[in-house]
Amino acid sequence: MVNFTVDEIRGMMDKKRNIRNMSVIAHVDHGKSTLTDSLVSKAGIIAGAKAGETRFTDTRKDEQERCITIKSTAISMYFELEDKDLVFITSPDQREKDGKGFLINLIDSPGHVDFSSEVTAALRVTDGALVVVDCVSGVCVQTETVLRQAIAERIKPILFMNKMDRALLELQLDSEELFQTFQRIVENVNVIIATYNDDSGPMGEVRVDPSKGSVGFGSGLHGWAFTLKQFAEMYAEKFKIDVVKLMNRLWGESFFNGKTKKWTKQKDADNKRSFCMYILDPIYKIFDAIMNYKKEEYEALIPKLGIQLKHEDKDKDGKQLLKVVMRTWLPAGEALLQMIAIHLPSPVTAQKYRMEMLYEGPHDDEAAIGIKTCDPNAPLMMYISKMVPTSDKGRFYAFGRVFSGKVATGQKARIMGPNYTPGKKEDLYEKAIQRTILMMGRYVEAIEDVPSGNICGLVGVDQFLVKTGTITTFKDAHNLKVMKFSVSPVVRVAVEPKNPADLPKLVEGLKRLAKSDPMVQCIIEESGEHIIAGAGELHLEICLKDLEDDHACIPIKKSDPVVSYRETVSEESDQMCLSKSPNKHNRLFMKAQPMPDGLAEDIDDGKVNPRDEFKARARYLGEKYDYDVTEARKIWCFGPDGTGPNILVDCTKGVQYLNEIKDSVVAGFQWATKEGVLSEENLRGVRFNIFDVTLHADAIHRGGGQIIPTTRRCLYACLLTAAPRLMEPVYQCEIQCPEVAVGGIYGVLNRRRGHVFEEMQVAGTPMFVVKAYLPVNESFGFTADLRSNTGGQAFPQCVFDHWQILPGDPLDAGTRPFAVVQETRKRKGLKEGLPDLQSYLDKL
Amino acid sequence: MFYIIGLGLGDCKDITVKGLEIIKKCDRVYLEAYTSILTCGTQALEEFYGRKLIVADRDLVEQGADDILEGAKTSDIALLVVGDPFGATTHTDLVLRAEENGIEVRVVHNASILNAVGCCGLQLYSYGETVSIPYWMDGWEPDSFYDKIASNFRNKVHTLCLLDIKVKEPTLESLVKKKKEYMPPKFMSVSEAAQQLLQIIKKRKEAQVELEINEDNLAIGLARVGSDTQKIVACSLIEMATVDLGGPLHSLIIVGPILHPLEEDYLRKFKL
Repeated sequence: MVNFTVDEIRGMMDKKRNIRNMSVIAHVDHGKSTLTDSLVSKAGIIAGAKAGETRFTDTRKDEQERCITIKSTAISMYFELEDKDLVFITSPDQREKDGKGFLINLIDSPGHVDFSSEVTAALRVTDGALVVVDCVSGVCVQTETVLRQAIAERIKPILFMNKMDRALLELQLDSEELFQTFQRIVENVNVIIATYNDDSGPMGEVRVDPSKGSVGFGSGLHGWAFTLKQFAEMYAEKFKIDVVKLMNRLWGESFFNGKTKKWTKQKDADNKRSFCMYILDPIYKIFDAIMNYKKEEYEALIPKLGIQLKHEDKDKDGKQLLKVVMRTWLPAGEALLQMIAIHLPSPVTAQKYRMEMLYEGPHDDEAAIGIKTCDPNAPLMMYISKMVPTSDKGRFYAFGRVFSGKVATGQKARIMGPNYTPGKKEDLYEKAIQRTILMMGRYVEAIEDVPSGNICGLVGVDQFLVKTGTITTFKDAHNLKVMKFSVSPVVRVAVEPKNPADLPKLVEGLKRLAKSDPMVQCIIEESGEHIIAGAGELHLEICLKDLEDDHACIPIKKSDPVVSYRETVSEESDQMCLSKSPNKHNRLFMKAQPMPDGLAEDIDDGKVNPRDEFKARARYLGEKYDYDVTEARKIWCFGPDGTGPNILVDCTKGVQYLNEIKDSVVAGFQWATKEGVLSEENLRGVRFNIFDVTLHADAIHRGGGQIIPTTRRCLYACLLTAAPRLMEPVYQCEIQCPEVAVGGIYGVLNRRRGHVFEEMQVAGTPMFVVKAYLPVNESFGFTADLRSNTGGQAFPQCVFDHWQILPGDPLDAGTRPFAVVQETRKRKGLKEGLPDLQSYLDKL
Repeated sequence: MFYIIGLGLGDCKDITVKGLEIIKKCDRVYLEAYTSILTCGTQALEEFYGRKLIVADRDLVEQGADDILEGAKTSDIALLVVGDPFGATTHTDLVLRAEENGIEVRVVHNASILNAVGCCGLQLYSYGETVSIPYWMDGWEPDSFYDKIASNFRNKVHTLCLLDIKVKEPTLESLVKKKKEYMPPKFMSVSEAAQQLLQIIKKRKEAQVELEINEDNLAIGLARVGSDTQKIVACSLIEMATVDLGGPLHSLIIVGPILHPLEEDYLRKFKL
């Protein structure tokens, strides 16, 4: 560290109003890590000249080689803002009275969809997001996804238009065209924001606006950037206009007539758009002069703009000189820092409105108040969002955010996993925290304690948490909410060691892998197979490589990737299904039926969920899905895992002691929805109705041992009699390519059962965007196939979109679903053939 | 022929002469070992009968009935049940199943707790509906048996409470897995039963429900009825919560509001 020390940072941590926790989010290859370098270089960690090439936050070797971010990386930085800029911060919660130094905790996150669970983890611990958009390709699918996630977590965004150098050098857009491009991107971003956020909501207005300075422009690669504020400051004196007013005039429909010296709102023959005239024109002039080697011109221009070049830079020319000039004139770090400090919320501001989204407990207990006020003297509440591998193999730093209180080395705390329920002992440990540390990209620094509003790492907690959890000192604290990922682990491979004797190493390695990635699932099948499930091919590839090289350190054999399916039904059960308990004294009567279209998605999105007030939920289901409201009030549970897209509805009338068996029936329902009857895949979109129940007169004879297995058998019978179907996951693919390559794309998609639903030209560029649905099962090798069929010009981004029924009856030998069921059963070590209805259905 | 033979309550010698004769001539003899147990143990039974027994757990009796009945058409198979075959536990389903398969069934009766309970001096005529008190598990705390006891009380009769036994029951977690894991055997004592009842009473008091039975109500605890170590204690419910009657099996009686003078006299000798 060059210009700040751990002690300085620890001092800053107490000034909670001067803290900014932020993540950098964007579509893949829009230049997040490169841009982040500009900030890091401003903080003095890497030399300014190297900024744009080092990608400091890409700490892994494969990240450097592939030029892609895989893991999110956090660094803390300290900056000071000048007095003239401090006045832009108006809210008292956004700045300490005496401090002009700001502590910025920045998390650089991956842009590739396969790693978007990393983004989710990053967003949870930050309050603001720098959304980077490549101004040449515009707003892409992943931009929208991460932005949507950010808004849902109540993270305030600011926007940065990156790669202006490309717009100027490659596309040669004229200034008006470039303005139009910028404006379109701003609009697109604001449309997304408006869709997911209400201006009257608790966050207030979150739209980005160039004239307010919350939109930056520039080139991360060349290390320069600006907001309208920088230019307004340059011109303020000349025009004798206040900086804030001038910023308004420099954007949008604002024109200046050079002859009459008048500002107007309309374009006419003599005037020119102010943005083009005062901002883009000077930049264009420099580019033109330097890139075309007009030495005299630029030697005159450079001093005019107030740029002083270092002696050794004066001999450069062409691109090298351009970089130096631009970077000296409009240093990216400076502009970004100002945007972050002025427009992103401090923890004090953000936690006020984020508490209710974060905390599961009552909103007025000690923990809730502590979070809301970001009080370092309240009980400790910290959320661990991910595990970061240490140099010590098999050990991890638990990385997270302190929302309330202080976390300190040696402190005794309650470590609560996601399954902890208040008052119970499950998933709860009371242990001392070995050490608190500061994470600095490639380095870590020990620190005595960390107060609320900050991000840090903990040593020694990894043994008690699988991936995430809550750490607290408050005895009655509830959990901080578990993160909801935007992608699902739909692609899986089976792994085994090349040398069977290495099996214990593999098992240990899988445990470590599961810890190190927020989303990957490591499962042992009934057949003893070890399964790794991830978001996509690339995600799995990285996981397997990590497993082989870092976690297990043994050679591994892997199967071809397979996808997970879902089981569902397409009709109502054709008969009332009866199952008797083992002692024959208890009888359940049930039926299954498909959910109406859209309900399963509503449950996925949490619009209908188990925590809803049941009357309001029933009303919603009645209005939107035509459900009988009395029945809809009696939804016993959702499943699998208590939240999944299947429901169990009590349609009985006047059954005595029904409430005594409810828990057992629910347990059986959770089991059956987790492992469906066809091939033990999860169920989706099934509604089960209980119509009647006959019970033994005595409580002992209707316990869990009798009811749970019976419920499962009855549900299985319901499924088999309701025309069961398989569902497969489908990606939405966005493919960017030049026009000539579009034909090739169609060919590849057709062969893979994909279909295009949108095709359009990116305005202002020769690029086309093709959007298509593609079954995940057909996506293996898709990227390579597409590239070879389009001469390497098409680049796809696939993100899981929805589930769709695989046509055909899985009970009918010869159909495709039948084959899938058999394959899955074989893989899972289940009996081959079809499940027999008679073993689940009993006669009256 | 399929025989269901009651073994009585005390030890191996409680079997009837008729039962013993049948056991000796049968091809296969199963011992139902999950609804009740004999304190003497399987080995003592085998020695006394002079033959091997097949221990039948819950899974075998409930789900493997066909295995038990196999060959019963042509040969003789017996199922031994502690107490009486149609007493506290009903094996009616097995009888029905056998008859469906055209197998003849004979039953040999014996003493059951349902009649042996007379030993405490309360007349069998003045008992109401029998209830069982199950072990409460995390999240499963049924209390409907209290309502039945209360209803008996309103009808001025006594209630016999059979207490839960877990010889080989799967754990709650393993119920939703394919591989079953079993809980260690445990048997509810009168003090545990009294404690659960007191909890219900407390809960209902908090909910301000009018109560027929409270902690001072007279209760009788019985242990190992029919054996040499039989023990009977009569005291209030709250005292019962701390009484130790020794090894299994236990039963509890909640005494009704009215006692016959003779009943009162008899109970006096069991008072704490």
